[in-house]
Amino acid sequence: MPDPIQKPRVVPPSPGGGGGDGPKEPKVERPNTDELMKRMRKVDPEQAKRYRQRTGQ
Amino acid sequence: MQVQFGLETEIGITREQGGEIDVVAESIALVRSATAPGVRQRWDYRREDPHQDARGFRVAELRQDTDEANYFAQDASRPLSFSEIKSDLVLRNGARFYNDHAHPEYCTPECSTLEELVEQDASGDALLTGCAQAIGAQSGNAVLLYKNNTDFRGHSYGCHENYLLPRALPWADLADGMQAFLVTRQVFCGAGKYGREEEDRFVGAGFQLAQRSDFFTELQSVDTMQRRPLVNTRDEPHADPRKYRRFHVIIGDANLSPFATYLKVGSTALVLQALANGAPRERIPRLADPLAALPAISRDLSWKWPVRTAGGRTLGAVDVQRAYLELVREFAPPADAAWARLVTDWDEVLRDLERDPLSTADRLDWAAKYRLIEQFREGEGIAADDPWLRSLDLSYHLLDPAAGLFYGLRDSGAFRLPFPAASIYGLALRPPLTTRAALRGGCIEKFGGDVESAQWDGVVLRDGRLRIELDLGDVFTPDLVAAGRAVLAAARRPGELLSLPFAKTL
Repeated sequence: MPDPIQKPRVVPPSPGGGGGDGPKEPKVERPNTDELMKRMRKVDPEQAKRYRQRTGQ
Repeated sequence: MQVQFGLETEIGITREQGGEIDVVAESIALVRSATAPGVRQRWDYRREDPHQDARGFRVAELRQDTDEANYFAQDASRPLSFSEIKSDLVLRNGARFYNDHAHPEYCTPECSTLEELVEQDASGDALLTGCAQAIGAQSGNAVLLYKNNTDFRGHSYGCHENYLLPRALPWADLADGMQAFLVTRQVFCGAGKYGREEEDRFVGAGFQLAQRSDFFTELQSVDTMQRRPLVNTRDEPHADPRKYRRFHVIIGDANLSPFATYLKVGSTALVLQALANGAPRERIPRLADPLAALPAISRDLSWKWPVRTAGGRTLGAVDVQRAYLELVREFAPPADAAWARLVTDWDEVLRDLERDPLSTADRLDWAAKYRLIEQFREGEGIAADDPWLRSLDLSYHLLDPAAGLFYGLRDSGAFRLPFPAASIYGLALRPPLTTRAALRGGCIEKFGGDVESAQWDGVVLRDGRLRIELDLGDVFTPDLVAAGRAVLAAARRPGELLSLPFAKTL
């Protein structure tokens, strides 16, 4: 039986990694992450070590 | 019939201060703190049966039954009844919010459009966030909620998806047809994880695409907590079992990005629709070793994601996805413009993953998380195996708009949204108007004090000496839902609902 998965045709890249016809927020290529970097420095490096959960579904 | 769908998401919970916490007590307290309109402790557990197997038999016990029995024994020492421990709240949007053993769980109502689904999921996030903020403010010790799937110690919890399908679709065709799709879709719906795990054990550092891909060891089974299967066989349709089945997907990650949720549920629904519409078996992709492929794809840092097909070829996971996309185009053509856009967006993500995987960071959780944390890691000179990366990973999932990293990215404009922000984040807890959830939610909104019990497939109300059951087990057509909504809107008391064709007295 032939393999049902065929290698796809080569397609041109979508402009800017985005597209489609639907409503979108303004496209931001590289978000301003200065505030985020500050937020990240406040993350307690030990937080994950203390984090413990029960197995769920 | 058109596939309907919903999500059920277990949430991780802890406190900012203090040592080891009682996660069960925290989960109960969180759920019980909800003040959103709804009815509490009236969920009808008698209508649940997770032991029925879609392969045509009933298992005597689940692998987790022993663990659950132990948990129940521990919980017996709490000064709370079973019902109080579960603390089920059925909300006016038709959703379910409860303590699932040790995790707050929010189950969206049934949806028939992706816009409804994304809105309902976001409403759950807002509900959870509100509860955490209220308890934190009251106690002076913040409640931290994580919409993720692991504690990095080998304890995983789920974000399950449910898809209502016609019973006529044979189980073997369904299970066989979905396997390769579920294994490979993580390239766009993985939430990203800094770490590798096994059951009950942290294995080592390193980034991978999906939170859940370390935790699956079986091809098919009815279990969900131990030795989890790629395809879950639970046969509990929450609908007329002669006509419907519910495909219960347990392999997925919880997504923060609305676009990832939209792609995950939308693509899965369309593949299921293609199978239901008769996509031929010989054209369905098959993998040589699906269980090995799942973690291999997730951990492949080349981001080429090679997989071996049953036919002996090596292809990329994206190629497998594209094969499914072609089946969808042929056998499940879009019903409207919204579904056509989903197909376009799915195709575009696949192209972008091949061209430049991180160009999807404006849509996909794993790419957004990786790009952000790697930028920070490089800037701060953090080693690739530093445990801090796991804390940053956790913080991506924190349900707190002021501190969570996802929210920080979102508010900086980093994410494309699949629908207008006002639609996604309306936060009104309004039910989807196209499904039976509108009737469940409507009963709760209008006659909440008269609701004796509720379940996915039925609501029982009291009106004086009358007990009225709305049997929602076969209420799936738009006409029937619309008729139900009209009668409900006009009704001044529950007894007037008896004019509905699916209502009866008990």
